[in-house]
Amino acid sequence: MPIYLYIDHGSVVHRLNPTVKVFALFVMFWSVYWVDHPLALLPLGALMIVLAQLTGAWPNFYRLRWLFILLIFFTTLAWMVFYRKGPALIDTPIIHLSRASLTFGLGRGLKLAELLATSVLFLSTTKVEEFTAGLARIGVPYRVGFAITLAFRLAPLFIDSALTVVQAQSLRGYDFNRGGPLERVKRYVPVVVPVFMGALRKANNMAMALEARGFGMSAMPTSYIDFPIRPRDRVAYALLIGLAAIYFLIYWTGYGSISAK
Amino acid sequence: MDAVKPRGPHQALAAPDAREAPGAIGVAVEQGTAHPAAALDDVTFTYAGGDRAALSHVTFALGAGEMVGVMGASGAGKSTLVKCLNRIVPAFEDGAFSGVVRIGGRVLGDERVCDAAPIVGMVFQDFEAQLFSTNAAHEIAFAMEQVGMPREEIAARIAPALAAVGLIGFDDRDPTSLSGGEKQRLAIAAVLALRPAVVALDEPTTDLDPEGKAEVFALIRRMRSDGLSLVVIEHEAEELRGCDRIVILREGEIIVHGAPAEVMTRLDLLEDCGVHPPDLNRVLSLLGIAAHAASIDEAEALIRARYTNLPARGASIDSGGAPALADPLAAPTDDRASAPPIVAVRDLSFAYPYGPRVLDGVSLTIAAGEFVAIIGQNGSGKTTLAKHLVGLLAPAAGTIMIDGRDRAALRPAETAATVGYVFQNPDHQIFAATVADEVAFGPRNFGLDAAEIARRSDEVLRAVNLDTLGDRDPFLLSKGERQRLAVASVLALRPRMLILDEPTTGLDYREQRRMMALVGDLNRAGIAIVMITHTPWLVAEYARRVVLMRHGRVTFDGAVRTFLARDDLLAGSSFRAPEATALGRRFGVVALGPAELAAWIKGRA
Repeated sequence: MPIYLYIDHGSVVHRLNPTVKVFALFVMFWSVYWVDHPLALLPLGALMIVLAQLTGAWPNFYRLRWLFILLIFFTTLAWMVFYRKGPALIDTPIIHLSRASLTFGLGRGLKLAELLATSVLFLSTTKVEEFTAGLARIGVPYRVGFAITLAFRLAPLFIDSALTVVQAQSLRGYDFNRGGPLERVKRYVPVVVPVFMGALRKANNMAMALEARGFGMSAMPTSYIDFPIRPRDRVAYALLIGLAAIYFLIYWTGYGSISAK
Repeated sequence: MDAVKPRGPHQALAAPDAREAPGAIGVAVEQGTAHPAAALDDVTFTYAGGDRAALSHVTFALGAGEMVGVMGASGAGKSTLVKCLNRIVPAFEDGAFSGVVRIGGRVLGDERVCDAAPIVGMVFQDFEAQLFSTNAAHEIAFAMEQVGMPREEIAARIAPALAAVGLIGFDDRDPTSLSGGEKQRLAIAAVLALRPAVVALDEPTTDLDPEGKAEVFALIRRMRSDGLSLVVIEHEAEELRGCDRIVILREGEIIVHGAPAEVMTRLDLLEDCGVHPPDLNRVLSLLGIAAHAASIDEAEALIRARYTNLPARGASIDSGGAPALADPLAAPTDDRASAPPIVAVRDLSFAYPYGPRVLDGVSLTIAAGEFVAIIGQNGSGKTTLAKHLVGLLAPAAGTIMIDGRDRAALRPAETAATVGYVFQNPDHQIFAATVADEVAFGPRNFGLDAAEIARRSDEVLRAVNLDTLGDRDPFLLSKGERQRLAVASVLALRPRMLILDEPTTGLDYREQRRMMALVGDLNRAGIAIVMITHTPWLVAEYARRVVLMRHGRVTFDGAVRTFLARDDLLAGSSFRAPEATALGRRFGVVALGPAELAAWIKGRA
């Protein structure tokens, strides 16, 4: 099973300059930030579906499908507890189901799902090396950028190792789901200890291998990746600025808020 | 502009008077200069918190263009020695250091590890920790970017580096998608791209299947013939026969230092130092021939000179009929027919989402008391099959019966009482504060009472020879001890079948023998053993039945001796017969180990 999200699909999005993609990440977050209403969020969702198709990123969405479903479902449910406005269809001491609470909750759920989808699209189309180079290009110090990208490289290794540990302990008859919430947290000790010890060892080995390959020799290493700004990147910048402006306008005119009818 | 012109594939950055060998892998060597490529002078190092010196007054020199093999038991100081060459010791590892290290005559002083990268390349055992890029080209570019090489020069060096390790056209491949051998060759290419004068390889083939191992050692031989100065750490002596010199370390000190012919005939000393002595020399020694064989041809000639009545080469293969081959361990048994199956797999298929089929119509039964080795290339489906047996994966098609019950109806924990699974890395399960607690974890989960838990803990700790260490912190045990602890903690559930995934990886020869003696004892006590392994001599000497997997299918299922007699199976399996077996076949016999072969030859005399 692949441990990174990057899918070498060769789409036009893959070929964009990494700084454009870092900017796109920012624009998506910006656009999602300004609006609350699900209807205002839907065009962005549709755009992401188109991009997922274009970039061949569906396998990653499939891998994370439960995360998306749970995120939307539980966020919607949670806001029915806290957002107690509007005439209630169902009103209990815990759940307040109204058109307003449903709309607000669904909006929040969609926001989170779209932020996640943006990140998945970004990682599906951008190699970590490009990410590092893109960050360096916009002025982030090399070591900081490398540390961020190293986290992306390490996370799948640790998840993999955690899954193995869970398997090993469950085969020794261990039931992780026994007891109350506190008890359950404590029951993860047989997983946390081996994963943590393994992570320390792995991090140490990796640091050694990195230094042995010259990491740290120069504060500004050269880059094998050559990414000039091409016409398609300029077009992408223009489209992204347009998108950011449209979403700010939607906010400015009040169409993105929940009270908008 | 000469600096950016693609030159010979590898050339030292720091060797001003180097001669170029066109088209060669290695750097041009400073031949005729007085300085060795690398030297340690009276080096002593004690790790912070260590109770003894990891290296003690070690003096060692690596001549230019020379290849030196370093051997010794776990903890003997081999890794520490090579880490001195690029300043990992003492710049990266904490501890007390004294002595002098020279590379090409230059004394290493306060340099950082990264400063040594252009002159000393290092390849580690753990490939996951040394490959961190999304494709092979970036992996190779990494070190060159770090030293500030211009883009054009980096681009010009990538293709020759890939070519040098036999990975032409792999530029865009994701390193995680490569086989073990390919990964390690990529790691070597990433080091060679800087064209260092010295390359140190720390057990580079430990996690590889025989084919991957052969690939890497073929590459090492090429690097050597192209003039690179090499230090190679390895447990299997036969792999180091081509070295110029062998160094053996024991408890931080060099105890033997000499040519392979000299060192490799000292079989008892090798074993005593945790090194697997070469099969060929073992056979010769058992036959009373005091000589070193550098190849199977040489061993055959030496034996034929002494024993003239042996069958000529090409004689028909005798796969076990000869009286001398009636070794009980070796005899092909058919215990499957007599005992009821513990596990019965029928038409099992499996694929990960969006992935290719990993298992394809596998059928298999395993009965009480069997000893089965599952072999096959990395990625052939061995571990996936084993994980199905214990319920960690659910089949896409087919059925698995455990003790006559459908496994789909059992939880993994329920299966655990019948089929135990020992993971490859013991550190994936060890967490408790003491050895005794670690062993008690499983029985406790099954709700056994304290007296029963104590009884079982004592029993299994005795079985694995850790009964005196019950109060110790498991993290302070050696790798071999941790591996045996992992077996003990699975045994505490009293399974009737034990699956061992690469039980000897990362262990030295002595620890491997101890581990396998334990597994053999368990098997004799009636526990069925299923062992996933890449190590040929383990299969030959311990298993009785071989299941060969290829592309998710079982391509052979039968007696070990039958398997080793069939060239067609061996050729397509990435498996190599042990050298004693290969030597025996020159005389028309399939022997499973040096002792058996020597006995057969003597019986013919």
